[in-house]
Amino acid sequence: MKALQIVKYGEIKDSLAFNEVSKPTVQAKDVLIEVKAAAINPIDKSIILGNLKGLIPIPFPSTSAYDVSGIVVEKGGEVSNFEIGDLVYSRVPQEQMGTIVEYVAITSVAVSKKPGNISFEEAASIPLAGLTALQSLEHVGIKENDKVLIHAGSGGVGSFAIQYAKAKGAYVYTTTSTTNVKWVKELGADRVIDYKTEDYKTIVRDIDIVYDTLGQNYTSEAFQVIKQGGKVVSVVGPLDEESAKMFGMTDYKLPEELAKLISAKDASYKFIFMHPNGAHLAEIKSMVEDEKIKPIIDKVYPFSESIEAFTHLASGRAKGKIVIKIS
Amino acid sequence: MKELIKNIKSRIQLSFEAEEYLFSISKKKTFSKGAVLIRQGQNVNKIYFVTDGCLRSYCIDKNGKEHTLQFAIKNWWISDYIAIHNNESATLTVECLKKSSVIEFNAKKLNGIFKLFPEYEPFQRNLLERHVVSLHRRILNQLQLTASERYDLFLDQYPNIEQYARNYHIASYLGITQESLSRIRVEKAKI
Repeated sequence: MKALQIVKYGEIKDSLAFNEVSKPTVQAKDVLIEVKAAAINPIDKSIILGNLKGLIPIPFPSTSAYDVSGIVVEKGGEVSNFEIGDLVYSRVPQEQMGTIVEYVAITSVAVSKKPGNISFEEAASIPLAGLTALQSLEHVGIKENDKVLIHAGSGGVGSFAIQYAKAKGAYVYTTTSTTNVKWVKELGADRVIDYKTEDYKTIVRDIDIVYDTLGQNYTSEAFQVIKQGGKVVSVVGPLDEESAKMFGMTDYKLPEELAKLISAKDASYKFIFMHPNGAHLAEIKSMVEDEKIKPIIDKVYPFSESIEAFTHLASGRAKGKIVIKIS
Repeated sequence: MKELIKNIKSRIQLSFEAEEYLFSISKKKTFSKGAVLIRQGQNVNKIYFVTDGCLRSYCIDKNGKEHTLQFAIKNWWISDYIAIHNNESATLTVECLKKSSVIEFNAKKLNGIFKLFPEYEPFQRNLLERHVVSLHRRILNQLQLTASERYDLFLDQYPNIEQYARNYHIASYLGITQESLSRIRVEKAKI
């Protein structure tokens, strides 16, 4: 079967190639998915460029991408929660990475039935960004009437997080550029801040939660805008000590400046590293079926143009997710 | 099953042997919410009579989206008649929208009952005619009524169904988007 593989670290065009690979063998806890659609995310680009080789080393060649939707065509002996013919979606675990391919085997706990009211392409666009947003905002216990700032509202995670936060009844501030203001507003954000013409720090004050999807100075600035005892959750900022331990860094200490900021605001800070989770995807399925959340797709590419899809991703101009239709 | 037999007897003269036969080709079953009784693409040899609960039949298009064909509540029959008639794999999926009790019939044996018990044929013909009438009404309604009118008829036909059917189940049954269904509901709430 055909797969889009990473053959070395480096520029996209030099590092990706279509290869013939063998169909995966199904282990006892796996389901085999006939892939209908895959979606690509910034992390896929970072892996190809080699930016993450310290954290997520990959052998060559490795099939690219994590997000997938398709049909269950085979299952292992210990799988009881899926049947052959089920329509499903998943963010595959690291050890099963590679969804731009005709068939993928996935441990069933990372899989959920897909929402029934959307297409395979739309379903494939959800898992990684959706799980990241859900796990981040769930970690800080987002609830009705919370005031939350979500940076980069037009991004894959940001656009999902806005809808998730609104579904939970929060008041949402978000930042985006002038060209994206209109459609980000349509996602339900209460106050869309055009960072090209407005300084968000003069608008957002004493809020409950900052969702940091940008890192760098935005992580430290979050402590200027949260209330005393507020919460900052980040997917790009420095690791917190607990997360660092998870990666085996037992003597890791928070950067001193960040530790001071947290202490001064009596705040909490948490770095979220998204983990695959079928139950969370099932929760998202219900929210999508109730139209509390709508997938946002920038463009769907045919399988044969997967490399162009990555070039488009690398341009950083996508408004919503980039999807590859496999079959 | 007793209620179904009573229903049949109210329409035709049913012999003791025919009644025994109906018992022999059926089983009373209860399924939990979400259980799938017929799965698109697989073999079908069952017809279900609903004694309690609510089931839905739907097809999945090539893009993976569901389209509701029918809801079945108490005293309704449900199966994939296209598959049974053409002896092919299922075009539809039938699932329970809530805990449901059904009488499960062997399709071939139920469809062949009138060869063994000719007195059963009027009941089966009447059932088929009512089914055709219902389908014709559904097509005509689709052709000539507004979405709002179709929604009213839907609620008359399936009272209380909104407690357990999802919005997208109902919207796809009516052939409208979920947004349109929400708009119709908002409009009706104003009246």
